[in-house]
Parts: sequence; structure tokens; C-alpha cells
Amino acid sequence: MIQLKRYNPLTMLLDLWGLAKNAFFLVIFLFVLKSGSESTFIKYGRIAFYLFVGITVSSIILKWFTRKYKVDSSSFYMYKGLFNKFEQTVPFTKIHNVQRRTTLFHRIFGGTSITFETGTDTAVKFDVISRKEANRIEIHVKRMTLDKATTDQADSDEMGQPHTDEKIVKLDSARTIHFKPTRKDVLKASFTSLSFLILIPLVTSFYSKINDIVNVEDKAEGFLASIMNSWWVITILVVILIIASITFGIVRAFLKYGKYEISSDHERIYITKGVVDESAFTIEKDKVQAIEITQSLMKRLLGLAEIKLISAGSLGEDALDTNSLYPFLPVGRAYEMISEILPSYEVTQTMERLPKKSLWIRLLKPSWIWIIATAALLYFKPPIINHTHSWWILSAGLLIFIIVSRFLDYMNTRYILNGKFMQFKTGSLQTELFVSKREKVIEVKVTRNKFQQLLGLASIGTINRAKPVHHTGIKDVPVELADSFYTWYAGRTKEIKIE
Amino acid sequence: MYSQIPAPEKRLSKDAVKVWMISETISHLIAFIVIAVIFYLDSLFEWKEWIGWILYGIVGLTVLSAIWSIFIQPYLLYKNWRYDLNEEFLQLKSGAFNEEHQLVPMTKIQSVATNQGPLLRKYGLYSLSIETMGSSHGIPALPEEVAIELRDRIAHFAKIREVGQ
Repeated sequence: MIQLKRYNPLTMLLDLWGLAKNAFFLVIFLFVLKSGSESTFIKYGRIAFYLFVGITVSSIILKWFTRKYKVDSSSFYMYKGLFNKFEQTVPFTKIHNVQRRTTLFHRIFGGTSITFETGTDTAVKFDVISRKEANRIEIHVKRMTLDKATTDQADSDEMGQPHTDEKIVKLDSARTIHFKPTRKDVLKASFTSLSFLILIPLVTSFYSKINDIVNVEDKAEGFLASIMNSWWVITILVVILIIASITFGIVRAFLKYGKYEISSDHERIYITKGVVDESAFTIEKDKVQAIEITQSLMKRLLGLAEIKLISAGSLGEDALDTNSLYPFLPVGRAYEMISEILPSYEVTQTMERLPKKSLWIRLLKPSWIWIIATAALLYFKPPIINHTHSWWILSAGLLIFIIVSRFLDYMNTRYILNGKFMQFKTGSLQTELFVSKREKVIEVKVTRNKFQQLLGLASIGTINRAKPVHHTGIKDVPVELADSFYTWYAGRTKEIKIE
Repeated sequence: MYSQIPAPEKRLSKDAVKVWMISETISHLIAFIVIAVIFYLDSLFEWKEWIGWILYGIVGLTVLSAIWSIFIQPYLLYKNWRYDLNEEFLQLKSGAFNEEHQLVPMTKIQSVATNQGPLLRKYGLYSLSIETMGSSHGIPALPEEVAIELRDRIAHFAKIREVGQ
């Protein structure tokens, strides 16, 4: 695999497709809407458009001809540039996660895209690559890092060493599947994500657009009135609408969460999902920086939770939540799964709560949002349902909301330092539980403002690697805890291995 | 705090107070000049009355800020700033009203640099800036030999890498 290779020629086609998508509206404007126009603006616009297309197309072709890559036993090498030559080396050890995406485009041509993410700005990305080649590279990287970790003899450039082959086969067969959503899970997901409500805005916007063109309301007035008079027609219409939107929601949830699979082997965790747009996420267990368990209000009511694996490598441009284990796991199963896929992690459900005085400090802290909002209301005095003097209702409502959410935040906040693990839980309506290891925390800080100093409280905070870096913290813990938190972190030297 | 691990003890250079006082004086002088120019424009073009009131308000605030940041803040900053390091951690502590304590592992430090502006140069001081994987820190005013020694020590300790970084 050490000879230089060009990227897959279909990359050019993908880029051209991107260009076509971007230029679509310009084409419509210049050549369809203004097709008869002879104005100088349009004339020069068209010339500029031809130039733009010409330059982009030739740059796409040149880009393909100048870009090459090479893979050896330890690193990726990428070459690009026509006049300024640019060379880049990415060692396999720096790879934090691997992501694959197979969009409709890739499906048509039997390809896929694969990205090897590093902790820095450089990623090794193949926009289009045949599945065979993608598999080959991924297995190669896996084998070489494995080789290094276990036998320490990775200097040979040959790929087909029999003993490593066996090892790979063994590991692949040891891959266990932890979760595949059943039909019931998908149904639950579709209701929890409220995806059945999506039809409503779609229908209303569609209706208003139609109405703009043919003015349904005027024409159908008599018709509508006659419908409104017969209750059974309305009932049938409503039932049809409900069934349609539920079906729509379920189909949508199925497309998104239907083909989910969480699996792991000895070294790595694999998450694949998507029916039309497939995505796959692979991370080495050692490279999981932290776990985050998020529960929205809805999920808390239904006893569901979402687990995310925090990785130092970026997660791709579009927020597809590729690092999320199934977002609608029953809470108990979620905790079980963490101990299954990450046996080195310990998550305990018993955590400590904040002292009473941190409730007071939370409640008494002035709320700038409320002050500014009230000042604005006082000045503008907007009428509510024709009452000019009822603006204070809004202000009072906001105040109550702020107080309740602060109280909930106090109630939900929990923490524990458990051996080499830390667990912080925060949030008012939506809660987040953050679990990390001492060795993965890259920095800690303790702050105390004057009130906290008087009350014997402190705020603690940690930073973890992620993209961008992940800050977590708890406000108003007892100062004794802040002290032991500091000591706890200083103890990390016991665990870290130095190169 | 600091019942188990030693609190940082090392202090900044005493001259830091002078440097801060001078630099705050200069920046407040500039602010006053700007305000004076606006007052002049105000009288020249006869702006609306309320603009004058706002200007008086700004003058008041600037005077208060000048008193605070020239005569009080430098002493407080100097009095509360502490740092220390060993081969494993860099410790920083600062702030009177908002105390801040930071513990940064040496292995996570990416770069360290000494900087010197004209005011610091006048007193033979350097400031130190430290970039880590997650954020950046600074030690504002250290005597030259201390700063250079510290920079070299941090650079030396920071060379050590953890496995799997």
C-alpha cells in the first residue's frame, strides 16, 4: 500500500454536483427569470457566471490531478498543490475517531466517504472512496495500531503478516452487539422526539402557499361552511390528519433511528445508523474522553436518556450526533450499556447534593435577564389582550420561571468524586450527567466570588478534550469539596503513563 | 483550600504595581481626551440636551474607574497573585473578590512564551503566556531572570508527553 495513489475520480463528480447545487438559483435567475433581459447587469452577470463555472470546473479537475495519498505501516501521507506543494503526515496513533458517511450519492456509485479525525485541525478525509478501499484502509490502520500496541514490531511494510491477520479475525468475531432498536423502541423514539408534530407546519406552509396562488379561502367559503356544519365530516378529517401525521412521524423516526446498531470489540466501539443516509462512527475505547448522559424534560418523564461519547476528534461538519449512542435508551439500560462497552468506566447512581446555602445564593443572585426585560417592559408597556397596564404580568411570569428553573437546577445538581472518576450532573429542565476520568481531564479550576467566600462555597470546573474543548462545572459546592477536588486532580500523576 | 496540596507561594515582581498604575493612567488619559473632544463637538454643533447628560454620566464613570484601576486595583492584584510549579503541575492563583485557582498539568502545556512591552521593558520585566490544550494562561509581570528561568523550566517539563495524547 506504499505507492502513491490518486483519490477516487468520483470525487470530481461529487464536487461538480456540489457546484450544480450551489449554482442552481443563479442559473434560474440569470437564464430563466431574466431570460429575455438585455440589461448590462444581466449581460455581465452571465459572463461572470461562465467565468466562475469555468474556473471552478478546472480547479476541480486540477485538484484531483494534484492530490495524492500514501499509507504505510504507521502514517497517512497526503500531497497536494500545483505551484505550492503541500505535504502532510498523520500518524495512526493520533487518530481519535473514524467516521463513515454513505449518502444517496455514494449509494448510487457504490462508494462511501471516510474521515479519520485527529485531535487537531487536520483530518484525513476521503470524500468518495470505494467501499473496498475504505475497508482496506480502515482494517490496515486498525491492524497497525494493534500491532504496535501488542507486539511492538511495526517496522515492516508488508501488510499480510499471518499472525496479525489471525488477531484481526479473532477480534472481529469478538464483536458483540449491544443494542439494536426494536419496533417498539422506534415507536417510542418517534413519540419522544415529537416528530409527528412536524406535519403541521409543513401542511400550514403548503396551504398558505397554495392560498397565495389560487385563493382557496374565497372560492371554498361556501364549501367550507357546509363542511363545518356537518360534525362527522370534521371528525373524519381530523382523524385522517392525525393518522397521517403519526405515520409521517413514525416513518421519519424509522429513517433516522431504525437501523441503529451499537457494538464493540475488545478495543473499539462502533455506532452505525441511518436507513438512507448511513453513518458509522468508530472510536478506540482508550480515546473516549468522557461520557455525557443527557435527558430532556420529555425523556425524563418517560425514563429515557441519551449517551454521548466525547471524542477529541471533530465529529464532522453537520451535527448528525454521530457520537451519540441511541438517543432514546431506557435509563437503566443506558447505565448497563456504559459498563458493557466501557468496562474501565464506573458510573455510580448515588451522588452528593448541594448544601442548603447554595440554594439561597442561587435564588438571591440578581438576574440580569429579568432586570433588563422588566426595564424594557416598563419603558414600552406593550398591551396584552388590550390591557395596557398588564405588562407586569409578563415580568412576573418571567421572574417565576427564573426562580423555578434555579430551584430545579439546585435540585438536579449532583456531584461525586469516585476514585479516579468524576461525575457532575447539572441542568434545570434538561439535565446533563458528565462522567470522566482524572487522566482525561486536562485542566481544573476553582473560583470563589465574595459571596461564596463569605458562605464557605466555591465553584469548580474542568476542561476536557473535545472539539471545541468541553467545559464542565458545578457552582456553589462546599469549599471543602473544592479543596478535595483540587487534591483529587493532583493525584492524576498516579494514573498517567508517560511516553 | 489547600489543606492537602501546598498553596502556591511565589509572587510577581513588586514593580508590577508601578507598571499597572502607569498603563492605567495612560489609558484613562486617552479616555479623557476622547471625552473632551466629544464635549467640544457637543458645544460646537449644539447637540441635543440629553446627549450632554449622558456625557456627564460617562465622565463620572470614567473618574470612578480611574480611581479604582489606578489607586486600588494594582495593589489588590499584586497582593493576591501567586504562582508555583513543580515537574507535574503549574499552579496559579489570583483575584481578591473573584478568587481563581488553577491547576494545569505540565504534560498538557503546548507552548510557553515571554513577552515584553515598552512599560515592562522600562522596569526590566517580562510577562509569561502559557498555552495549553484547552485554554491559555498568563503570569503578568516577572523579573527578567525569573521569567526566563521559569519559561525554560516549563518548556522542559512540558516536553514530557502522556501516552495516547
